[in-house]
Amino acid sequence: METQNPIVIMLINMTIVFAVLFVLSLYIRLIHKIDPTAKAAAAPKAAPKAAPAPKAAPAPVVEKGIADETVAAIAAALATMGVGFSRVKAIRVADRPQWGGAARTEGLTTLKMR
Amino acid sequence: MDILSAFLTSIQSVWLDSGFASFTFGNFVMILVGLLLLYMAIGKEFEPLLLAPIAFGCIMANFPCTGFLEEPGVMKMINYGIQFEIFPPLIFLGVGAMTDFGPLLANPNTLFLGAAAQFGVFISLAGAMALGFTAQEASAIGIIGGADGPTAIYMASKMAPNLLGAIAVAAYSYMSLVPLIQPPIMKLMTSKEERAIKMEQLRNVTKFERLVFPVSAAIIISLLLPPVAALISMLMLGNLFRESGVTDRLSDTSQNALCNIVTIFLATGTGMTMSAEHFLTVQTIEIILLGLLAFAGGTAAGVLLGKVMCRLSGGKINPLIGSAGVSAVPMAARVSQMVGQKANPSNFLLMHAMGPNVAGVIGTAVAAGTMMAMLAK
Repeated sequence: METQNPIVIMLINMTIVFAVLFVLSLYIRLIHKIDPTAKAAAAPKAAPKAAPAPKAAPAPVVEKGIADETVAAIAAALATMGVGFSRVKAIRVADRPQWGGAARTEGLTTLKMR
Repeated sequence: MDILSAFLTSIQSVWLDSGFASFTFGNFVMILVGLLLLYMAIGKEFEPLLLAPIAFGCIMANFPCTGFLEEPGVMKMINYGIQFEIFPPLIFLGVGAMTDFGPLLANPNTLFLGAAAQFGVFISLAGAMALGFTAQEASAIGIIGGADGPTAIYMASKMAPNLLGAIAVAAYSYMSLVPLIQPPIMKLMTSKEERAIKMEQLRNVTKFERLVFPVSAAIIISLLLPPVAALISMLMLGNLFRESGVTDRLSDTSQNALCNIVTIFLATGTGMTMSAEHFLTVQTIEIILLGLLAFAGGTAAGVLLGKVMCRLSGGKINPLIGSAGVSAVPMAARVSQMVGQKANPSNFLLMHAMGPNVAGVIGTAVAAGTMMAMLAK
């Protein structure tokens, strides 16, 4: 039976739209309920065995006159290269003037003229 | 003398074959309409990606004697894409790939807001029938209220191809005017306290849910409403590309290159339907007014159900997210966020509003499918 009554068409269609979306909302809840990955994620992970406390590594010998900031900068640079600071035995000023020259050359060659 | 006569005959022939000889006042008016739309797109930035090609298509449609839609060629091919509903499903593929269904999956109650916003569709349908449109034409006009351009074109192509231009222009114009049309209705229907409600953060949605939903929703809805199987399936396929994590290239193409190409064709082709003889009618004005009624009705119904849900949840739901049930993605959700943040600067409703917004896309497609199943000849 084909109806041409706008009110009837409106009521039937609204009912169907609500019904379909209601079923879809139930279905979304069902997916959430049966989700096997959610259970795995929610389950408390077994606490890893506490690792034995590492022995405190001996602090490196820092030559007099070297600032704490310099030591911190060296530690940070080593950390970025994946080297632990515990492996450092001593920090002292090296008598190598060529390092200064190399730094100046590097600075000049990489400097961008604006 | 003979040379002069031949020259004059040739000139006359060129003139008679030119568009100027057949140019009508209607063509002139429609070219002005095209220029106005172009100004809105470029000058005012109202949905420029859609409105600019629509406007240019409108101008092209009013060049007389081109034979664009009669002879085989690129314009005819573009018209085929609209006439045979090829472009809207391809746009839906892109929409699916761009859309995060997470907020909807986290809070499935928002589906009801998407359903409520379809009320505008049916108000407009009733209004159109009262004005003398056939049930098929009225259903195509009503879908403007869904604020979903591709679905409106899909529906109009199937149910009322003679009204395609007016329906498409009304749908896209109102979509671009969402930030102007919705806020006054939203403010009128809510108190400042309601607008200021802050909603709790949504739960995390697992990958399992994100993968299972598009596949199973495509199966369920397509089996239930075969007339919209192409739209819904492509929407869900696009979303599957996005969520699978192994089809990034397909997702990227669907979201960007393909979607942009199809948008150019769809929008230009839509503009091409705006020839003076089809567009300059009283029906067009009626359709534009009915579209506004549908849009306002949908927004109001969404906010109204939002208020009901706010009461039922003990004030945990901000009713403003209901207006996002009209499916202009993500514009309507942004409007909810904007109005909510004005009432309470620390309010973040965007993700909450995306739930009803996505539900609105599905709801509009379901409404279209239902009407097609019920009213198609």
